[in-house]
Amino acid sequence: MQKIALIGAGRIGRIHAANVAAHPELQLAYVIDPIADSAASVAQSFGAKTADLDGALGDASVAGVIVASSTDTHLDFSLRAAQAGKAIFCEKPIDLDLGRAQGAQAQFEAAKARVFLAFNRRFDPNFRALKTKLDAGAVGKLETLHITSHDPSPPPAGYIPVSGGLFKDMAIHDFDMARWMLGEEPNEVFAAGAVLVDPEIGRLGDIDTAKTILRTPSGKICVISNSRRSGYGYDQRIEAFGSAGALRANNVVESTVEAWTENGAQADQFQNFFLDRYAAAYKSEMAHFADMLVRGAKAQIGYADGVAALALATAAQASHVKGLPIAL
Amino acid sequence: MSQKVDVAIIGAGRMGQIHGPNAARHPDLRLKYVVETDASLAGALAAQTGAAIATLSDALNDPAIRGVVIASSTDMHLEHSLACIKAGKAVLCEKPIDLDLAKARAAAPAFEGARFILGFNRRFDPHVSALRDKIAAGVIGNLETLTLINHDPAAPPPAFIPRSGGLFKDFTIHDLDLAYALLGEPPAEIFATASCLVDPMIAELGDVDTARVIIRTKSNKLCVISNTRRSGYGYDQRVEAYGSKGMAATGNERLDAVEVWTENGASASPIRPNFLSRYMPSYAREMDHFADVLVRGVKPSVGYAEGLAALAWAEACAESARTNAVVKL
Repeated sequence: MQKIALIGAGRIGRIHAANVAAHPELQLAYVIDPIADSAASVAQSFGAKTADLDGALGDASVAGVIVASSTDTHLDFSLRAAQAGKAIFCEKPIDLDLGRAQGAQAQFEAAKARVFLAFNRRFDPNFRALKTKLDAGAVGKLETLHITSHDPSPPPAGYIPVSGGLFKDMAIHDFDMARWMLGEEPNEVFAAGAVLVDPEIGRLGDIDTAKTILRTPSGKICVISNSRRSGYGYDQRIEAFGSAGALRANNVVESTVEAWTENGAQADQFQNFFLDRYAAAYKSEMAHFADMLVRGAKAQIGYADGVAALALATAAQASHVKGLPIAL
Repeated sequence: MSQKVDVAIIGAGRMGQIHGPNAARHPDLRLKYVVETDASLAGALAAQTGAAIATLSDALNDPAIRGVVIASSTDMHLEHSLACIKAGKAVLCEKPIDLDLAKARAAAPAFEGARFILGFNRRFDPHVSALRDKIAAGVIGNLETLTLINHDPAAPPPAFIPRSGGLFKDFTIHDLDLAYALLGEPPAEIFATASCLVDPMIAELGDVDTARVIIRTKSNKLCVISNTRRSGYGYDQRVEAYGSKGMAATGNERLDAVEVWTENGASASPIRPNFLSRYMPSYAREMDHFADVLVRGVKPSVGYAEGLAALAWAEACAESARTNAVVKL
């Protein structure tokens, strides 16, 4: 059993804690959170102890650290864990400041850190199956890609100022997905953002709607569609257009029941928000972390991937503000 | 039963072969003349529809002719339209109005008061018009963003490329018009990016075969247009409209509704292979509208102004792709 310390006992921390506890090769040893009640609650639920960071990192029997704290602490906690020789499972994004994230890369390399940057959507069974078929040449050579990522409803207004903005907070998932699917680094970004959902988001300096185009050196084009409020659930789709056809991963529905009446057909809603929609992905990424710890597997998504996604998000924000395409 | 109204058609090529029979079989219309310089095309369409072959001047000088369908080559659309309008005929003209914006713009005075339908057929597609009705009825709240997918099944012959006007004026122009029809607002800004991924020959001929366009309207509605000359899976024609209370979308029609499940998984029949297969109902409805204009004095729902605007936006797309910059309108 590999011992795990969890930093952050919030919403996503609790998900990871449950997946650690459920994994046959992992054991949740410590939960670290400045909010004592949260730490105690998660620790108690999954048979762990609460600890402070030094205590957890100082325990030589701890093999891996999960960083699920607030975004502004991801980088510092990851670096501390790296310097303590622990393998790291870090929530996205790696940081909100590209320069800082780039600057820290050498320190991670110096510590020979094993960092897994947990972009959960790569572990979604649907998107993974699409990628497998794409790589197998099911639709010939990939030419263009559409990623749709619409949240059901906007976050509380209080979250907006600390979120880093729509591109770094939300679209960063899609930038990572685009890099993974395209198999080529985008070298140009154009983003058109708007405030259409809630004027309060605009007053706080952010946007709630965006359409982004990425281009690669070989001329591949990717469109990302983002909204903070769909009005119809959590819309998570990918379409990949190739030289010999198209692949599509659709939304996952709450149930497969459809009802027909004289008024037409009625299908069930999409699975609600990320905790439900990506439950399998969170479980699967924890299995990957166990593979890293137990069998020495290489992280499928590393620190450099986190930096690359952040670079795209930063460029998209600049493009939106300036009204120009940005070269990378 | 009122008497049928006599109409003529100019052009018996690909589009003439759609519009000619639609006019001939329409309960309110009689196709009297086919005007076409290619004798074998003229003969075939005349024989099929029971119309007589005539010259343009004979057709226009016949006072019984009340309307003319223009399905000639693109470079003749404007000239033929002007001649028909001058002769007092109502016109149903294929898109685009012209490939030269300045020339099309200069013709504006002649179109004032003319009964002129520009055949942006997708507006007449039953699925698209149902979607438009539902948006207007508020089923998705306020329309905020729009995605238009328009992928051709296979690239046109290389010989067509140089006289096509380029991807944006030839192909994207449909989507630019549809975006305007659905958004209810013209673009204020356009950004387009394009690649040649399908056939290097298209690049050698100075065109592109793959494009994505982002439109922003004055009220900040956003629209994405997706175009390719070759899908590899049929004629992909979809609209997704995102509103404050939900999404409304039109999917593709399939050749048949059969689905098959085996141990290899599920399979469905291909989507419709080309525009003839997909949009025949839209052309019939377009002809219904022409008959309404001729017989019942209905005002054309799409005409010169829309054609001119879409052409200007297509030029803006080309300029944006060329300069890699946002074009403000």
